[in-house]
Amino acid sequence: MMELITFGDTGWGDELLLSMVMTILVSTSSLAFGLLIGTIFASFKLSNSYVLKTIAEFYTTIVRGVPELLVIYLLFFGGSGAVMYVAKIFGHMGYIELSPFTIGTIAVGAISGAYSTEVIRGAILAVPKGQFEAARTLGMKKYAMSFNVIFPQVARLALPGIGNVWQVTLKDTALISVTGLVEIMRQSKIAAGSTHEPFLFYSIAIILYLFITSISYQFFNRAENKFSKGFVREGN
Amino acid sequence: MRIFKVFTTLLITLSLSSFALAGDWSKIRVGTEGAYEPWNYTNAAGELVGAELDLARDLCARMKAECEFVQQDWDGIIPALVQGKYDVIMAGMSVTEERKKTISFSSAYMTEPAKMSTLKGSPLATLSTAKNLNLDDDSAASKGTIGTLNAALKGLRLGVTAATIHEDFANAYLDVDLKIYPTQDEMNLDLSAGRIDAALSDSGTIEAYMGTPSGANVTFFGPNIFGGLLGEGVGAGIRQGDADLKAMFDKAIAEAAADGTIGRISTQYFGKDLAP
Repeated sequence: MMELITFGDTGWGDELLLSMVMTILVSTSSLAFGLLIGTIFASFKLSNSYVLKTIAEFYTTIVRGVPELLVIYLLFFGGSGAVMYVAKIFGHMGYIELSPFTIGTIAVGAISGAYSTEVIRGAILAVPKGQFEAARTLGMKKYAMSFNVIFPQVARLALPGIGNVWQVTLKDTALISVTGLVEIMRQSKIAAGSTHEPFLFYSIAIILYLFITSISYQFFNRAENKFSKGFVREGN
Repeated sequence: MRIFKVFTTLLITLSLSSFALAGDWSKIRVGTEGAYEPWNYTNAAGELVGAELDLARDLCARMKAECEFVQQDWDGIIPALVQGKYDVIMAGMSVTEERKKTISFSSAYMTEPAKMSTLKGSPLATLSTAKNLNLDDDSAASKGTIGTLNAALKGLRLGVTAATIHEDFANAYLDVDLKIYPTQDEMNLDLSAGRIDAALSDSGTIEAYMGTPSGANVTFFGPNIFGGLLGEGVGAGIRQGDADLKAMFDKAIAEAAADGTIGRISTQYFGKDLAP
């Protein structure tokens, strides 16, 4: 059985390793995309504009309220359809496919972004009002205040929550396997179906996912320490 | 920041859209699952192999077309065809009335009866029935065979794979405690574990499982079941608008069946002749 997981043309080791790289790529870019959206929508939610607030509320309610798989199906099959429809108007006939990687990143990023929005909003609200007032008193411009005073504090408060979002995002990437993108889940499905050894390959998938989560745990721990300089960390 | 550069380069490459033009059929894109041994699967080198891959290459040579294979998960294999990701599905897909509502099919290139299996030692293993059950045949003998099956399976748990002709058959003809599985492999494991009393599937896939250590204790019972809602066999799925492509496949399949190519390929992979 062990020859099945060797590297090279006789074993699945290299394929599985590549699929892990794909999972890492797709989940980190989804998280990054999600954080970007999250920051934007969190500021919408905290703004004074009724319209912006409603837009952000609409987004987080919808995306957090429907199954992740549905969002992926909608973007993958619906997205290509929409692009082809637009291309047709401009006279281009034929098939255009957005790569499963792009669609997957957008779909999982949109899901991850909805959760990040709430985490970031909570973190901004947790920064004491006095910090904003003190920065203004010192004559700081809005931009300088956001980046030099507020952001480091938001980062410290948001990191534990973002760590959670990261884990969810990582696991959501398994759903992209339906689009044919060869990440850990899809690769272990292929290997299981081709060798009739589902138990072996799904166990390996578990180990690969756990490997990524334990490495990222270390990373988040370090980041939390970095942003918590000057604070006594409670818990662990 | 070398790692950052590598990362961004990878991202840019990955997000480029692929692009294809419809038109003449000198180039045909064949969609397959690549995880359904021995029909279509992936070897450890990551290459697509299997009976349908060999057959597709042969058919393409007959049609003087260049074939390109596209891998797609089974969930979504029909929507991706309709969407245009590839032109043909060759993925062990049975021709059924239900699927014909969405896509059209070439004539069947391989046929294989459905069969039930159970563990050796189960009372079902010694059940005696007619050898064949043709669902197109409405005779009393057919009804008797179905009656025998229902009596034997009364109160027992029967496994089928979701969205297959086998599930349709079980719903229409059998009165059992039906357990529906997403994949054949999960059903196989539960059959070996005794979590279901019997399984209904293509005879070939379960035969492959019987060859593995965990499947050694599995055996067939009951008749070969075919015809009616079990469909005509396994065919190539084609978009409804592409009647010209369907005609090309029908002609090539008829030639391959006539000159023994399909028989040779199926014997190589299934150990028996599945030519229609």
